[in-house]
Amino acid sequence: MSDGSRSRLVKFGLFAAAAVLLPLLLPGYALQQVCIAIAYAIAIMGLNLLMGFGGQICLAQGALFGVGAYVTAILNSDYGIHPIATLPMSATATALVGLVVGLPALRLQGLQLAIVTFGIAAAFPQLLLKMGGITGGVSGLPIDGLEAPTWVPVSPELWLYVVSQCCAGIAALLVTLMLFGDVGRALRAQRDNAQIAEALGVNLTKTRLWAFAGSSALAGLGGGVFAIITGFISPESFLAILSINIVIGSIVGGVTSVVGAFLGGLFMVFVPTWASDINLSLGNLIYGLALILIMMVARNGVTGFIEKWLSTILRRTADNTASVKETREELT
Amino acid sequence: MSLFFQLVVSGLTTGAIYAALALALVLIFRATNVVNFGQGEMATFSAYCTWQLMEWGAPLWVALLVSLAGSFAVGVITFRAVIRPLMSAPVEAIVVVTLGIFVLFQAAGMWLWGAEQRSFPSLFPDGGFNVGDVRILNSTVGTLVILVMIAVLMGLIFSFTRLGLSMRAAAFDHARSVLVGVNVERMLMLGWGFAAVIGAFAAILIAPRLFLNPTMMTPILFYGLAAATLGGWDSPLGAIAGGLIVGVAESLGASYLSFIGADMRIAVPIALTLLILLVKPVGLFGSYKVTKL
Amino acid sequence: MTLLQIKDLSAFYGRTQALFNCSFDVSEGEFIALLGSNGAGKTTMLRALSGLLHFEGSIAYAGTSLGKVSPQRRLELGIAHIPQGRGTFTEFTVDENLSLGATIVTSRSQIKEDKERWYDAFPRLKERRDQLAGNLSGGEQQMLAVARALMSRPKLLMCDEPSLGLAPSITQEILTIFKTLHRDHGMTLLVVEQNVDITLQYADRAFVIEAGQIVASGTAVEMVNNEDIKKSYLGVAG
Repeated sequence: MSDGSRSRLVKFGLFAAAAVLLPLLLPGYALQQVCIAIAYAIAIMGLNLLMGFGGQICLAQGALFGVGAYVTAILNSDYGIHPIATLPMSATATALVGLVVGLPALRLQGLQLAIVTFGIAAAFPQLLLKMGGITGGVSGLPIDGLEAPTWVPVSPELWLYVVSQCCAGIAALLVTLMLFGDVGRALRAQRDNAQIAEALGVNLTKTRLWAFAGSSALAGLGGGVFAIITGFISPESFLAILSINIVIGSIVGGVTSVVGAFLGGLFMVFVPTWASDINLSLGNLIYGLALILIMMVARNGVTGFIEKWLSTILRRTADNTASVKETREELT
Repeated sequence: MSLFFQLVVSGLTTGAIYAALALALVLIFRATNVVNFGQGEMATFSAYCTWQLMEWGAPLWVALLVSLAGSFAVGVITFRAVIRPLMSAPVEAIVVVTLGIFVLFQAAGMWLWGAEQRSFPSLFPDGGFNVGDVRILNSTVGTLVILVMIAVLMGLIFSFTRLGLSMRAAAFDHARSVLVGVNVERMLMLGWGFAAVIGAFAAILIAPRLFLNPTMMTPILFYGLAAATLGGWDSPLGAIAGGLIVGVAESLGASYLSFIGADMRIAVPIALTLLILLVKPVGLFGSYKVTKL
Repeated sequence: MTLLQIKDLSAFYGRTQALFNCSFDVSEGEFIALLGSNGAGKTTMLRALSGLLHFEGSIAYAGTSLGKVSPQRRLELGIAHIPQGRGTFTEFTVDENLSLGATIVTSRSQIKEDKERWYDAFPRLKERRDQLAGNLSGGEQQMLAVARALMSRPKLLMCDEPSLGLAPSITQEILTIFKTLHRDHGMTLLVVEQNVDITLQYADRAFVIEAGQIVASGTAVEMVNNEDIKKSYLGVAG
């Protein structure tokens, strides 16, 4: 077995074990926090598609996340659709919005796209207030609480956890399928060199729009899950800082990694809380320092760092076993 | 018609704020090829230092000079401590680090001075004058004059001095600059120092109007970015023109376009940025392509 | 007199070793050609000499060990390096490129004097002094690179593949410039090339690098006549 696939297997094993053990170990409130982290992780996976594989920095992911959340909330509170049933619609609607955002992205790159999308993120809460008629304005919108079906004997918190993990699983599957398919190859090609990719027959317009649609669909799905978990949303939850935090989560976790997306989501939810637990007034100071230090130690994100570390350890153990074998052979 | 002119003047007044931040962003981009998202917060921190020195009894001009020198040191130290170790890292890492700088300086201000607003003395005499029916404040004129002077000075240094040439070269290409004997690290360090000084100047000029508080610059970060994009990322005077255009367009748009109104005024700079990027991506006064973040 | 003394030089890119214990001397006023195929280690050698790359072993220049000497200081000592791809500051004017070449020079009158001298020597550059260097042709950019390097008044001029992307006649022109500098100004030259036949017409001596080691050396005349070396290392038939 090669080092790569072995460390991937180890990584996946650890990850699955953590996913199963978490709800057994954590109290109800912390579990809800984990669910929120998972909702962010779904949005981060989408952003990774765009940023890690497509090479485009989008600072409007938080706004798209908000679109998904509002679609779920409106469908549920105005039309009485079951919260889980709204999720596919949130994803689709957000993908359409994402396509509109993505249109200028066809001509913009790097810094330029980052600035325009940052503007959209800053305008989003204002827009929500302006459209108070359907968004409920400052007072926000409620979403029905989720109860486990009678045939599943679990607490509501655990059921929420199962639902959000399932959504995350679907998202991870979609991302993986997309990346290993033609779209993924075209995406990576256009990131490395747009002109050459185009000369080789990659349809840039189509590829970039696909990336935006895919990324936004996941943002919408994450937003929908977020709305269900919190049971109430208002413009306060979708300020511009959310978009920045999603970008931070994505980069801290590692822009090309699915597991990294989960770590990024957890980072977004827990690190600021822990930082202010250590010292209330110094919380943000510690958070800022943590951000800088993490990037200095692990410039390719936490997963890149762990992978490097894991493969070094695996190689070392492999070397040891090999040398043990050799000495034995010499002895006999 | 006098409403129109009054709106233009009020736009110029806000535009001067955007221009100030844009100027600092452009300088650091030109000198180091990095967009420092923490620039505004660093500037706010400098303004607080000035205020603190005055609280302790220092005269305004002494406080100003001391804190400008201090800002230079803070810029240099920030570069040495967090940017230099990451110079070979992917762009994303640098983006996160500048966001970290943003959080760090805001938090430091909050911790040292608390969240309440404080009044900050103006460098210019109170009052203003009338042109026809339109009221113009002394501080608006004064702020703009100082900003234009800084921009012209910066432009002259970059275009006509050997130091400026070396700074531009260092930002353009590290390896090539090393080979002709440019001390790249020192140039980048100076770039961060100067940008911090200009940022501090900007914050001190606009603090009287915004009232000093740790998040004073946060809401206008996007306006600064939009102004720099509009004017062109390599042109100091462009940054000022961009800031003024954004300010005036915002003021007019919010009053005359009913679907925008006061609460959606941020749509104006978004539209302007998009328009300029689609029509002339290097900006009104820019001369080369900007693709690096 | 020996200007450059290289002993047991090894260099690495991360974990990959690119040069293995290379040793050779260059005398003052020599025109040396460093030959070899793609990836043999020629560029690495120049990078180690100019301070862009850390090395093991010893490099002594005019009796000074270069082990811990910064690239700027090496330039002040008189080592100039024209990198592959010419190192042009494409978004700067021709004149600014020349000014950058003189970064380490403190005397303004010397800069002015040198600029005039090289503008006279390269009239094409003079015509285009206010144009962006990126708009020059390949040959003009190569001339600009030479003029830029000369602005620091080097004793040892190193040039990495001047012929790259140039028409043979322009390559000849550039090499003629080198020959003139060498003959009239006593400059020491170290020119990396793949274009063996043309280069050997101009150089005094040549070294052949293969897989990070020096495998052959001799005067240019010996090299031209040694068919074995040409065939086995330089891929030149007959």
